[in-house]
Parts: sequence; structure tokens; C-alpha cells
Amino acid sequence: MKKVLIVDDAQFMRLAIRNILEKNQFEVAGEAANGIEAIQKYKELKPDIVTMDLTMPEMTGIEALKAIMEYDRGAKVVVVSALGQEVQIKEAVINGARSFIVKPIKEEHLVNTLNKILDINKSI
Amino acid sequence: MEEILSNEVDLEEDTQRGRFLTFSLERESYGIEIRYVTEIIGIQSITQVPELPDYVKGIINLRGKIIPVMDVRLRFKKEPRDYNDRTCIIVVDIKNISIGLIVDSVTEVITIPEEEIVDPPQINKGSQNRYINKIGKVGNDVKLLLDCEKLFTEDELEDLHDAL
Amino acid sequence: MSEEYINEPMLEMFLFESTQLIEQLEQSILDSDKEKCYTKTAINEIFRIMHTIKGSSAMMMFSEISGLAHSIEDLFYYIREENPQNIDCSALSDLILEGIDFIKIELEKIKNKDSADGKATTLIGTIKEFLYGLQQANNYKNIDKTKQKVEESKKQYYISQDKVITTVYKNAFKATIYFEDGCEMENIRAYTIIHNLNDITKEIYHIPEDIIEDEESVDIIKRDGFIVYLKSDLSYEKMFEFFKQTIFLKELELTQLENEDEFKQFLSEEPSEIQKKDYQIPKEQGKIKTNVTQSISQQSIISVNVSKLDKLMDLVGEMVIAEAMVIQNPDLRGLELDNFQKAAVQLSKITSEIQDMVMSVRMVPLSATFHKMNRIVRDMCKKLGKEVELKIIGEETEVDKNIIEHISDPLMHLVRNAIDHGFESVKNRELKGKSKSGTLTLEAKNSGSDVLIIVKDDGKGLNKEQILKKARENDLLYKNAEDMSDREIYNLILLPGFSTKEKVSEFSGRGVGMDVVSKNIETIGGTLSIESALDKGTMITLKIPLTLAIIDGMNIKVGNSTYTIPTISIRESFRPKEKDIIIDPDNNEMIMVRGQCYPILRIHEIYKVDTKVTNFTEGIIIMVEQDDKLLCIFADELIGQQQVVVKALPEYIRNFKKIKGIAGCTLLGDGRISLILDIGGLIDKR
Repeated sequence: MKKVLIVDDAQFMRLAIRNILEKNQFEVAGEAANGIEAIQKYKELKPDIVTMDLTMPEMTGIEALKAIMEYDRGAKVVVVSALGQEVQIKEAVINGARSFIVKPIKEEHLVNTLNKILDINKSI
Repeated sequence: MEEILSNEVDLEEDTQRGRFLTFSLERESYGIEIRYVTEIIGIQSITQVPELPDYVKGIINLRGKIIPVMDVRLRFKKEPRDYNDRTCIIVVDIKNISIGLIVDSVTEVITIPEEEIVDPPQINKGSQNRYINKIGKVGNDVKLLLDCEKLFTEDELEDLHDAL
Repeated sequence: MSEEYINEPMLEMFLFESTQLIEQLEQSILDSDKEKCYTKTAINEIFRIMHTIKGSSAMMMFSEISGLAHSIEDLFYYIREENPQNIDCSALSDLILEGIDFIKIELEKIKNKDSADGKATTLIGTIKEFLYGLQQANNYKNIDKTKQKVEESKKQYYISQDKVITTVYKNAFKATIYFEDGCEMENIRAYTIIHNLNDITKEIYHIPEDIIEDEESVDIIKRDGFIVYLKSDLSYEKMFEFFKQTIFLKELELTQLENEDEFKQFLSEEPSEIQKKDYQIPKEQGKIKTNVTQSISQQSIISVNVSKLDKLMDLVGEMVIAEAMVIQNPDLRGLELDNFQKAAVQLSKITSEIQDMVMSVRMVPLSATFHKMNRIVRDMCKKLGKEVELKIIGEETEVDKNIIEHISDPLMHLVRNAIDHGFESVKNRELKGKSKSGTLTLEAKNSGSDVLIIVKDDGKGLNKEQILKKARENDLLYKNAEDMSDREIYNLILLPGFSTKEKVSEFSGRGVGMDVVSKNIETIGGTLSIESALDKGTMITLKIPLTLAIIDGMNIKVGNSTYTIPTISIRESFRPKEKDIIIDPDNNEMIMVRGQCYPILRIHEIYKVDTKVTNFTEGIIIMVEQDDKLLCIFADELIGQQQVVVKALPEYIRNFKKIKGIAGCTLLGDGRISLILDIGGLIDKR
């Protein structure tokens, strides 16, 4: 099972994502409620993939993404975001986010996105 | 799913319909619908609670649950009688309120067919039979069937009468 | 809810978190409102909270909440990004508070399993108007921006990391990509492809050309697909593999081009215009903060359902009873059991520790309850044109969760009352030479096993004459006005049927009087006392027990009955001497203790219990105290002290009437029931 780190400041969103993932044979390695925690957890848990909310207190998702990419160039981070945040998503993509999904999260969107990114052959 | 459940409830109610627990007070025999009855226990130590009507004898500890007990004799304005080893407490559950009814003795559980149940004779509505809503005939005997809910709900009215 | 993964815990979590966020939001708004400005931090916080609520409620398909949250988010986005001047802060607060109220009501409905059927359309409209008004007033640079955009977009013909293409690639490709329906933000998805292609090649052209700024690009991509022309050294297979990895890919057409004819349409433009910086976003300067400790400490806190805590509390109560049943088991009477005694002491120690721990888990600070009052003060002052500052002291004081629930309403009522009736208008205050703005103090502090909650105003104080007049009119005077102490006069306002104001005001006159407040406090074993001074103000003190469930009690015997007196009320107990007993002409019995005379209450008499002990010298006197009043209780004998679990009398019994002097009941070690005496009630009864 692939290990996922869920980063979102909203406990509700973390639970929602967790429910979807656990139902679809992912292992939720951990949860983080802000950017700083996300970086710590990433180093500690070494997840296969990260779902990253952008709007968070303490440290935004973008900053956390940058720090994670700096730590691990191969990190797979998927941004979870809302309509209207195009600019931030673009910035996230520039900074290494593999893809993004748009809230409200649809189960198949999340699952397909994660699976596809995890399947991608690193050779390219 | 819900349908099945409610069917089961219906079924249970069906098996209970027409079944009565009979008990005696003085010479009369009374019946109480079995669906109200949760258990029957012997008389036990009752803690008096002050400032209550005399027919509320107090409270008992039923396996950690504290329930009030009512002396049905006194409720029906009959002469009090000392409790003995035949005295029973019928624990009933009416509208989610548990209460123990103290009676002289419990007789049996019987089934009374619907056609054998009739309205009580309309003489004057004395206090004695306002808790009786039907009369059941069993052979040559007559069972006075209790209207359980009246045992509680008439309280305020009666209190008012007492006050006047 | 169509999504399968949405379940009950999620709904619970949604309610829990949203409620918390809304409260936080309300506080933030109130703070900002007080400061008459919205700080950058506050704006950020409000934006973030609305963003979160928007997301969560959209997932739970509460579209009205989500829509409303979205509109507020937009408003604060604008405020955050454009920093407009001259915001009408008060109007903004009103608007957002209205939004908060709407969400609160909807959440309440959801909690009660009702349908969240409120409509936020009008409010959303008002918020949009407000935003529009702001944009107008601040001469929103929209116009400038669009102009800028047009100019810029002319330049953005193709994307390349370098202006000059030096590399010569072997192969040319054309790819047409269709995304899955409903994947959202197709333009950014297209951008992601381009971004990833940058690792492979520098020569990329695409249609639509402007995929970020041009809002139509989304529709074009949906309709015609996203078309990419590129040159690369990679083979067709490799390129195919690359595009195949696109997330949400529905259809891909990839062709290898024989010639470069199709590239010419892009090259006709001047390449010198290409700007590399187009796709760069100004870097945020924010550095990673190093306050790591805080985020770690958050981890050690979990939230627990209150019903589980209640259950745990019940179990501890059962355990305390079971312990008493074992240790005080009648079978043990008269036996010398050293080892048993040692083990029993150990058991008691652990039981009481567990009990303390469970209690402490249930303790919650009063701060949330106190801070709720901010809103009431603000709203009422605004409506009544008064100026009142709320001062909060000791908000960290903790009480049992159950108790918090019981005092929230009474407290709210006291605050309303104080502002409505207690404080003078600004003009009147100035006439009296008082400060323009009144001060309402909410204070909490510990006092033994009680918590004191004090609501104090510096308003006009209670008018004794008016109270007496009113009481006389309503036939509430129970003794001569001349014989009444100040305290007794003030206490008149606690009587049912008393209301000092003729006309019912919007706030305090909702048919709820001080009598209800006082009743509510009494039901949790608390008391309410009033002090007041004309033109200085009024102080109402609520004395609340820390917890409801378990008390230290002294069991006493009267005839065959056992009663329990809360140990906290007991001053002393002693066997009386004949010579100390005094009987006055009305046959009231009293006892002299150290030169003071105290009334005696015979339990067997007031509760009509048969006992052989009727002579004072044969029994025992227990001196009890409540609210500075003393009373001597006469009983047969003391049985002993133990912790008891307070149980309410059965509902059926309570429905008859409130039995004065009985607070509840408890189970003794031998399974019998003991009635817990309510000392305050007994003192009143006499």
C-alpha cells in the first residue's frame, strides 16, 4: 500500500480525504495541520505522496511545498485547492507540485490523480 | 430494513395483544396489559421520600436504577394492609417512566379474547373505576383491566381536587 | 449525500470544526470591530476561515453555507490584496456577523437533523454589493489592469524559457489533449503540461496561447482540446508516454510532424517580445517560521465525544458505589482483616485518583462562555445607543462541562439585563459625572469547591423604592417593607412575576425574568446573590459547584432512614447537653453554642420518620452552614463519611413538586438509598 501524508489545516478535510483514501487501499501515514508540521512529517514518515492544502496558517502550502521539494527533489505532492486559486496553483506547479485537485473533492478525482502520479515512470 | 423492523415490532405486539398479567387487591382481580410489564419482584426495602401523596411509598434501588413505587391499594383509596411475602412489586414502563406498583399478590398471565372485553358499566364515575377502562370476562370471573397511563396522568387533576 | 465516503463521523467533525471556526471568526470580528480596524492578521484569518468553511460545506453539500462563505472569502480576498482605504468597518462587521449568524443557525439545524433550508441569496447579494461599493470607492484598478492585460497578452505568444532558441531538435510533434469533464481548471492543467515539457524541450507553442490570464482559455480547451506543438529529441514513443501521464487525460492525439510548416504561424511574430517573466509570480518573502514547538504540542491533544466522558463519569460513579459495597460489606462486620484493610485502603486511593482525573478531564475553562458575551454587548450597545466596555477577568477558571452548559443562558440573560436596565444612557452618565462608557465586568474565580461568577456593572444600581413599589403592586411582599434588609429587597426581583420594566424590550424582555435565571442556577446547586448601590452599580454573584456528580458526604441515621449531608456544609457535630437547649414561647427549639443561639431542626419531625431517638441528649446535633446562615440538624447518629454519587430523584417524583431540602439521592454500600439533604433548602424551609 502506498503511504500518503495528508496536509490540511481543517480537521474535517483531513478526515474526508482519509476516508476516501482508506476506502481505496491507500495507507494514511500521517496528517499535518500546517506547513511546518508537513515538513516535519514528511521527513519523519517519508510518504510516497502528499496531498497539500494551500491555504493554511503558520506556513502556507506553497512554502511547505518548496521546503519539501528542497529536501527531496523526487517528492510527489498533489495540491488540494479551490476554484479561484489559479495563481497559487500555478505557483505550486512551478515549484514542483505534480498535479492538483479542486475542492470540493470528488472521490474518483483524488484516487485517480494519486494513482496516476504514483504510476508515473520516473525515467522521464 | 425499516419495514422488516416494524413488522417484527408488530409481530411482538401481536403476540402480546390480549395478554394480561392479573393481580389481586382485596377480593377483586385486576388485569394489566403485559406489554407494560418489565418485571415482577418481591417486596423490598423502600426509602421514604417526604412530602409526597401517601400512595407514593418512596423509592427503591432496582439494580442501581432508582425507581418510585406506588401502593395501588392506596391509589384506589382502599384500606392499607401490611406487606407480607405474597406482596409483589410489578415494575411497569409507561411512556419511558419506570414505576413499581405494589399489589397484594400476582396471580397469572392470561389471554382474554377481544370479544370477551367490554366497557365497564356506566354507573357514576367514582374514583374507584376511573383507572379501569375495560372489563374482561374469563369464565365466570371478571377481571378489571387497568388503564395504566391514567395511573400517572390524572395526578394533577386529583391534586387540584385535593387542594380545593 | 451522494458521496459514499461521507459518514456520520464526518458530519460530526464538520459540525465540530465549523462551529469552532465560526466562534473564532466571531471573536476576530468583534476584536477588530472594537479596534475599529481590521489588521492584516485578522483579514488573513477571516479569509482562511471562510475558505475552510467553504470547502468543507461544499463537500457536505450544504450549498447555501458554502455560497455565503465564498462571497465573504471573495470580499476579504479583495481587502487583503487591494488594501482598500476607508472601509466602513462597522458596516463590514455587521455584514459578516449576519453571515456568521446565518451559518450558526444552519449548523444548529444540521445538528438537530433538520434540513439546512435557509437561503443566503439576499445576504450574498448584499455582500457582493458591499464588495462592489468598495471597488468603486477605491477606484478599483480593474480598468487599468484589463488594459495592462491586453497589452501584455499581445506579447504572450509562446512560452519559452529562453528567448533565443539555440538547440536544434530532431523531431517535431503536434499533440491535442482533451481533459476529463468536470476536472476543473483545465487551463492550469494545460499549464502543468507546459511546465513539465520545459524539462524536455525549449521549443513549445500552444493553442490557446494565453492559458492563464485569458478566462476564455478554459472553454476553448474544453471545446477544442489543448493543442501543443513542440520539437524534441525524444522519440514518438517517449513523447506519447509523456503525454499519457497527464492527469485527467481523456483523449490524446499525438502526431509526428514531417515538416515545420505548422510552426510558422507562431514564428511570424517577433520573438523578441517574449518575456520570460510572464509566468513568474512575485516570490513571497515570507520565511519559514521556526516556532516548531507549538505545532508539536498540538499533537498531544485529542478531542473526545462528550457522551463518552459522561459515560466514563457514570462508570466511575458506579465504581465508587461498588467500592463502598465491598469495603463496607456487612459480612465483614466484626472481622479483623489486616491484609484486606491494607488492600482496601489502596483500592480507595486509586479510586479517588481515577475520580479526580476523570473530573479534571471534564473541566473546561469559562473563556468561551465569557467571550460569547462580547457579541451580546456589542449588538445591544449598538441598538440601545449605549457605550459599555466588557472586561473579562479569570476566564481561565475551569468548571465541569455540564455546568458550563447550564450557566451559559443565565449568564447571557444577566449581561442583557445589565446593559438594558443597569447602564444609563451616555447622556445620563455624563450628567452624573461618570465616564461616558460604562464598564461591565465578568469575573470568575475559585472559592473552595465552588466557582464564583460575578457580573458587575457600574450603572445606576437598583432602586429599592421602585422594587418595593413593584413588589407591592404584584402582591409579592411577604413581610413589612420596613423589616426588610437590603438583601431581602433585592432578592424580590428574583421572584416569579416580578419585572422592573413596564414595557418589554427587545433584549431582556423575552418573557424570561430573573426568576428563571435564579431557578436555572439553583437546578445545578448554585446560588445567586445581589449587591447594589445607587448610582454605583450592581453586582450579581453566582456561586456554582465545580461539579455535579460526586460529593463528599456525611451519612446520618434517623430511625430506619439514612440521609447524606454534603461534608462541605458541615461546621461541626456534637452531642448536645440538656442545659444548652432553649425553647421559646412559640415552641421553637434552639441551642446555645459558645454564647450564640442557633435554631434546631428535627429531621424525624419534618420528614415524619419513626424513631426512638427524640430526646436531644440521646441523639446528635450537626451544625451546617449555607450562605452565612447556620442551622443545627438533629439526627439519631452519625454513620460515617464517604464519597457519594449524586443521583436525581426519579422524574415521576420530581413531577409532584420540588421537595424542599432534598437535593437528590445516592446509593449506599449495602444497596439502600440515602436522600441527600439540601442545606440551603432546609434553612429556607424553617
